Order: sequence, then C-alpha cells, then structure tokens
Amino acid sequence: MPDMAEPRKSSSTYGRDDDPLTYFFKTLIDHEVTVELKNDIQIRGTLKSVDQYLNIKLDDIQVVEELKYPHLSSVKNVFIRGSVVRYVHLPAAAVDVPLLEDATRREAANQAGKGK
Amino acid sequence: MSNVDPAGHNQSAPGFGQAYDPFADLRDNHDYTDEALDFEDTYDGLGDQLDETDDAFNDDTFGDTTAGASGAVGKDFDFFGATAKITNAMEEEHQRFSLQQKTSRTVRPHAAQDYNTGYSYQPTQPAPKPARTGYEKYKEEPTELQIDASIWGVAPKKAATPAAVSQPVVTGRKMMSLEEVEAAMRAEAKQTPPVPLTSQFQPQPQYHVQELQAAVEPGLYPRQEQLDPIRQPIDGRHQRGFQTDYQQPGAQGATHGHPITILQRPSRHSPSAPGPATAIPSPMSQPQQTPPNVPTQILQNPNRLPADATRMTAPIHLSQKSQNSIPRALTQKQNQLSELSEREKAAFVEAEARRAKRNHKIHLMSGNNGLMTPQDKSFITRIQLQQLVSATGDPSEQGNEAALAEDFYYQVLSSLRAGQRPNPNQPLNNFAQTYLFQTGTRRGGPRHHGPQNHVQRMEQQVQRAVEAAKNKPKNKQLVIEGSLGKISFSNAKTPKPLLNIKRPESGTDSNRPASGQRTQPASKGHDKKDTLRDIENVYLTLMKMEDLTRSMPPPNGPADQNIADKQDEFNKLNEQLWSHLRVHDPISSTIVHPFISFISYPKGKRAVPRVFRYLSPTQRTTILTMIIIHLDQLDVIRGAQVQTGEPISLDAATRERIELFSLAVMPSLFQLLNECDLDIVTGVLGLITQNVNVDLVARTRIGVSMLTMILSRAELIKQAGQASEQSWQQWVATFNIFFNTLEPTLHNIFPGTITSNEDIYVWQFLAAIGIGASPDEQQRLVFAVKDRVMGTVGLAKTLPPDMAKGRLDNVNLFMRSIGLDVELLN
Repeated sequence: MPDMAEPRKSSSTYGRDDDPLTYFFKTLIDHEVTVELKNDIQIRGTLKSVDQYLNIKLDDIQVVEELKYPHLSSVKNVFIRGSVVRYVHLPAAAVDVPLLEDATRREAANQAGKGK
Repeated sequence: MSNVDPAGHNQSAPGFGQAYDPFADLRDNHDYTDEALDFEDTYDGLGDQLDETDDAFNDDTFGDTTAGASGAVGKDFDFFGATAKITNAMEEEHQRFSLQQKTSRTVRPHAAQDYNTGYSYQPTQPAPKPARTGYEKYKEEPTELQIDASIWGVAPKKAATPAAVSQPVVTGRKMMSLEEVEAAMRAEAKQTPPVPLTSQFQPQPQYHVQELQAAVEPGLYPRQEQLDPIRQPIDGRHQRGFQTDYQQPGAQGATHGHPITILQRPSRHSPSAPGPATAIPSPMSQPQQTPPNVPTQILQNPNRLPADATRMTAPIHLSQKSQNSIPRALTQKQNQLSELSEREKAAFVEAEARRAKRNHKIHLMSGNNGLMTPQDKSFITRIQLQQLVSATGDPSEQGNEAALAEDFYYQVLSSLRAGQRPNPNQPLNNFAQTYLFQTGTRRGGPRHHGPQNHVQRMEQQVQRAVEAAKNKPKNKQLVIEGSLGKISFSNAKTPKPLLNIKRPESGTDSNRPASGQRTQPASKGHDKKDTLRDIENVYLTLMKMEDLTRSMPPPNGPADQNIADKQDEFNKLNEQLWSHLRVHDPISSTIVHPFISFISYPKGKRAVPRVFRYLSPTQRTTILTMIIIHLDQLDVIRGAQVQTGEPISLDAATRERIELFSLAVMPSLFQLLNECDLDIVTGVLGLITQNVNVDLVARTRIGVSMLTMILSRAELIKQAGQASEQSWQQWVATFNIFFNTLEPTLHNIFPGTITSNEDIYVWQFLAAIGIGASPDEQQRLVFAVKDRVMGTVGLAKTLPPDMAKGRLDNVNLFMRSIGLDVELLN
C-alpha cells in the first residue's frame, strides 16, 4: 500500500458535507484500507462508511501488530473517530491517479475562482 | 511534647512527635483530649455493642410492611406522586373545559361541523377524551395558524362565523354535481342575509372562529370574497382593464387551495396556484406588495363580477359595522355591469360558468384540506426536493455539470466503475476516453437522447431552483441594533475567517529570496517553474475542452448558433492549448526546447495522449517532428544509453521515466505515424539521420522503439502498395544513409549481457531493419550482430526448455526477417 492520505489539517474545508476528500474516501468503500491511529495502532479492515469528519467505519478488522494489542483481537468491526486518525493507507489499485489529479486541479481552480 | 495520650499513644513516638505541629499553641489552651485526629479518642465503641446476630427488631426500625404501617413513613420523597396529583387536577380541568366546548359546538348547525377543523375533532362524540397520549398538542389548532384579523383592518370574527353557517347548500362532504353548484349559487344570489345568525352565534373562544375560517368549504366562500376585494385592488394594474377580472377565479382557487397561507401572508400569492381557467392571460402572479389595510381602494376596483357582488351580500351585511366601503363598491359594480354590452355580458356568463365548474372541482378536492399545516407541507416539499436533487446525482444525466464541478473524482469514478449500464451515453464515453485509455476499455454505444419525459423536465426545473437558491447571497453578518460590532456567521462552506492575511501577489518572489537564488540562473526565460506552469495550464485547458466536448451536441445534428459558438470556443481553447504546449517556441541549440522540457516531466508525458485527441493532424505532426528533432535531448534518451556487455546501469527513476514514456507518449506517436504516408515517414527518418546523434539514440530503448516504429511503418506502406515508386526510391535512399550511420553502433545496441533478458526490443528493431534492407545490408547486419546471435543460441542450450524457447523466439524474430532460422544454426 504505497499511497497515504493524511487527514487534512486545514480548517477551511473542514466539515463540509460535499467535501471532495469525503467523496474520495467514499469511492474506497468496500475496499480494504489500513487506518493508522494517532496512538500508533494500525487497523486493517474493509471500509464501510465515511462521513464529512472522516469518521470511519471498518468491518472485518485486523490489528496489524496483533501481539501488541491483544485486547483488539476479538473486535470485529470498529468506528473510528476522524480526529484520531493519523493516516489512511489506501489500496493503490482502487485509486485512479490521473482522475484524482484532474479532480484536484478542478478543485484548485474552483477555489481560486471563489477566492477572486 | 511529653504528653501521653490517655489512650496510650505516645505522641513523641517517631513519625508523630517530631512533626511540626502548627496547632501546638492553640492546643495549649485547650484540653488535649479535644484532639479529633485520634481514632481511639473518637471511637465510642458502640459498634461492639451491636447485636449483629439477630435481626429480630428490624421491623421496629424500618417499619412493618406487612402490617400496613407504611403510612407512618413520610412521603417527602415522593415527587412523582405530588406531581401526579396536580396533573390529575389539570387533566380533569382540561376535560371539563373540552366538554364545554363540545356542547357549544354541537349547538351549531351541522353544516359547519364536518368541515370544522379538518383535524381530528369529532363533534358528535362528546365522550370524555381518552387517556392523554402526549400528542394532544399536535391535534390542537397550531397557534401560528391563527389569523391576526387586525392586519386586515377589519374585525371579521363575528361576521365570519355566521357566514359559514349561513350556507345551507353545503351540507356535509357530499359530492355536488355541477348543476347543484350552480343552483346553490343562484340561491345564494337571491338569498337575503340570514336572520337567525346572530342568535345562533355564541361567544366562543377565539380559536373556534378561526378554525371556521381556516376550514375550507364553500360556506366560507363569501368570506374569501370579502377578503379578496381587499387584496385585489392593491395592485394598481388591476384597475386598467376589464379582463383583469378573470384573474379572480385563479386567485380564488389559490385561496381555496391554501386558505391558511393566504390569510396569514396576504402579501404573497401562492406560487402553486393553478392558472385561471379562462383563455385570457392574466397577470395573476403579480406580487401584491402594499399592505392590505387600505379598504378605501375597494372603490377603485371596477371589475367585480355581479355574481361576486351578490354573493357577497351575506358577509357584507354582516360586516357592515367594520366595512362600510364594500356596499359602495358593490353599487358601483352593479352600475358598471349595466353599462356592459351584450357580448361582454355573454362573456361574463361564460366565465362565470367556467368558474363555477372550477370551484366545484376545488370543492371536491377540498375535502381533505387543512390536514396539513404549512409547516408540514414545506417539510414534505423539502424532502421531495432533496430526493429529486439527489436522484440526479449521476454525471451521465444531462445538466449535471454542477454535480461534476462539486466533486469530479467521485462522480466520474463511480460512473466509470458502474460498468455496463442500460444506455451509456456521451458523457460517460467521454470520461472513458479520457480516463480509461490505458486499459483500453473504451465503450461504444449509440448516443441515446430519448424523449425527455416530464419527470426529467421537473428535475431540471428543481435543479435550477436549487441552484438559484444556492446562488442567492445570504446574510453573512448580523448587525444587532445598537451594538458596536458585527457578528459574522460561519457555515460549513464559508467558515468564519479567523485570520485575514493579505499577501501582495507581486511580492511573492521578493519575499522569498532564498528560493529565487536556488533556481538555476542558466535557464534564461524558461525555467522549471515556467514549464510546470505550462503543464498545469495545458491540463486546465484540456479539462475545459473535455467539458466542452461533453456538452457538445452530436456532430451530425442540425447546425445552429449554439453549436457554432461552441465550435468557436473549442477553437479558441485549441489555440490556448497549443500556445501552452510551446511547440512553436524558437529552436535554440543552447537551451532545451520548452516542449522537450515539457515532456520531461511525468505529468507532461501523461498529458500527451490527452492533448493529441484535441489537436489537428497538422499540430500532431508538428509535435512528432519536434520530438524527432530533439530525440537525443529527451530525458528518456539522454543518459539512458546501454552498453553491450556491461550490466544495465539505469537508475530506478530513469527506468520509470522510460516506462511511462513508452506507455503514454509512444502509443500516440505510433498511432499518428500509422496515419502518415510514406513521405512523412521518410522525412522523419531523414531528420533522425541528419540532426540527431544516431549512436546515442540507437543505444536507448526508446530510441530503438522509435526507429522500429518508423521502419516498420515504411515496410507496411510498401506491402500495402500505397507507396508511389518515386517516394519509395526516396525512402530507400534515406534508409541507406541511415543504415550506414547506424552500422558502427549495431554491435553496441544490446542492453546488458547475454544473460540479462531485456533485449527483445532490439531483436524487433533488427527484424525491422532486416526486412527493409538490401541483401548487402542484411549481410552486414548479420555480421554486426553475429556474436550476440550465437551467444544467445548458446545460452539457450543451458537454459530450461521454456526459457530457452523464449530466447530463441526473440532471435528468430530477427533471423526470419532476413530469411533465416535459428534451427539452421544448430
């Protein structure tokens, strides 16, 4: 999983319902992702849903370092609050990079258009 | 501190005595037995006396529940019970009250009853209310529905109730035929004000009256009429002509449909009011802005229908106290009627009949009126709107550019992933072309423009409405009167700006001198930044062109202005694209050409196939020429040379670049070359021979592929018989020069050693040369690569059969092109 998406820090887009980032994650629904939390736990599971705060619901989870966190070995699905996510490791095959680049360009152009 | 505790504890013992005692002074004045810190001192020993073995006296302590002695226990804690007492009392009160109301209602004639509220009220059941459900509030008339009669400048309450009551025609919810309605109206017209009304009327709580007003029934009709003349003349235009009177049915329909709304907000027409039944256009949707409390203006309304006027008699008589002006209006109208010609009268009658029909329909539909409050209605409307809007969230639908703009990635990706759909139409095709070109899953299919049904039209309308609402400027700030500051709202889309830093646009470079120094001064005029900016501009232009193409109607459709405009725009964008590509910048020997640095970036390379789709053939050929001329300056050729016999020493980045180039750029060039005729192919080969370091080029993978491409194209043209004798001679001449230039390099073009199995493209190249070469050249060719051929064949003998076969097949590519086979070597 070479790609990483960092939760955005900028407050200007935070909480937007129609956030492109939210929609980007929505395209990953039903794909396997690894969520790295700010307390270093890495959870791999099937992305079930995501909302505008990047709260994440994972199914069929597995903790990457299971020996280190035995208390999570019996957990099957989790809801992760968006604010505790450090990284989401994306499945590279599920990301259309040229399309994503274009989408980013469009968004940037939109923002620039609004800023003027 | 030599005190000895009476309990025997020695305070001077280590750990206690040495501690500083801040209360030592105080304690000196007191008996030291007061010290509370000593447990022994405070413990009274009562616990020891407790008889814990026997609970026999628990009843004495806690009260005997079996003996019913609980009454002795206080009930201070019973908050619920205390509340319940009061609640019960209130409920009783409530029931008594509602019973009174019911009796008072039952006194009233039954005509009013069925329509009374439209809510759950059952006048014939004076039974006590069932147990409280908690929903009583909702059943009661919502307070905001109450009409503030004062805004009309009238006091119609007393008048209205009898008005409703006074229509004996409308009994119950019985369906009425047209004849009945007409009969009723005729009867109405003749009717004198009902006498017993006042006696019937009983003073009641105010909201009963209003319920009656709110209830929609023909009995209320005169009441509406009474309101209408007040509203109508407000609009000055109504006074202009006779025909404006036909507005009345429409307006009335509106008032019937939404009586409550209109009574509440007299200054606004319900937008959903059905149009007038007459063919005469009427300005019924004109907003009425002036406040309605100007009863004298009624005098100026000359357009009252006689029937209206006569039907108005009942309310008029009843409301004379408050509205003296109406009779005057009435007389005026009657005068006017007598002035009308026969034809106009006929028109009147006709209009009246139509209106009666309409009113009848409205009446039929009005049975369930009032079931929903305006809030309910708007709530449901919002739900419907939302669903309509979200239902259109598919980029393949027409008019969905807004959604695309909102979130391009999601929309396009989901449409691409959606796979086969019932009727894939143009937009998807376009996306597929743009983003699926690598996988080749291009989707065809006829463009499908089915007839737009009304649902789609509705969706579009709704969307427009939603857009308009979106674009409407909202109040961004709240200025409270008398306050010194403003409160700015923030929402999700426009968060409250916490920092407002303005950076001068021009000062960006001077503010960051460090970065300015870092850029190489060598590249005058066109540096890395410019190139990157060009690439981005190319992409932006590309996206605009793609958007435009998507909205472009089918090319064989009728030519109209719209298409011409779009074509113009397309051409303009094409020019823009072309200038951003910088292909026409002057070629200089010292600086790398802007276009070459353009495609030295990965994203520049990736842009090429997309750019090619929007360029004219001439422009494409220009690009091909540009690349060919600068072939040895390309990043995938410069520094990517291999040396036969040495291990391949390309770093990962270069390999990646080469990979990308052959994936993104080569197919476009290949396709272009396959459309060229032999003259261009010859010219391209000539350019390479004359302008480019062939040795350098031929020792790179991309260079070899390029040459293979050119040579094989020429061979194909020849085999297809498309080449004229003259141009073929030209080609042969060019080829000979090329072969001579290439020959010294031939033994050096193999990458790595024999064992590094990466030389298939070289064998392809050799095959392409071999086919086109003369027997003499073929011989020289074999001589040049003999060692490699023998080496590979020898290696193949040591390899497992399947691997060996692969190697030998590669060699055979070449061998067969010159009429040989590796089998001959064994």
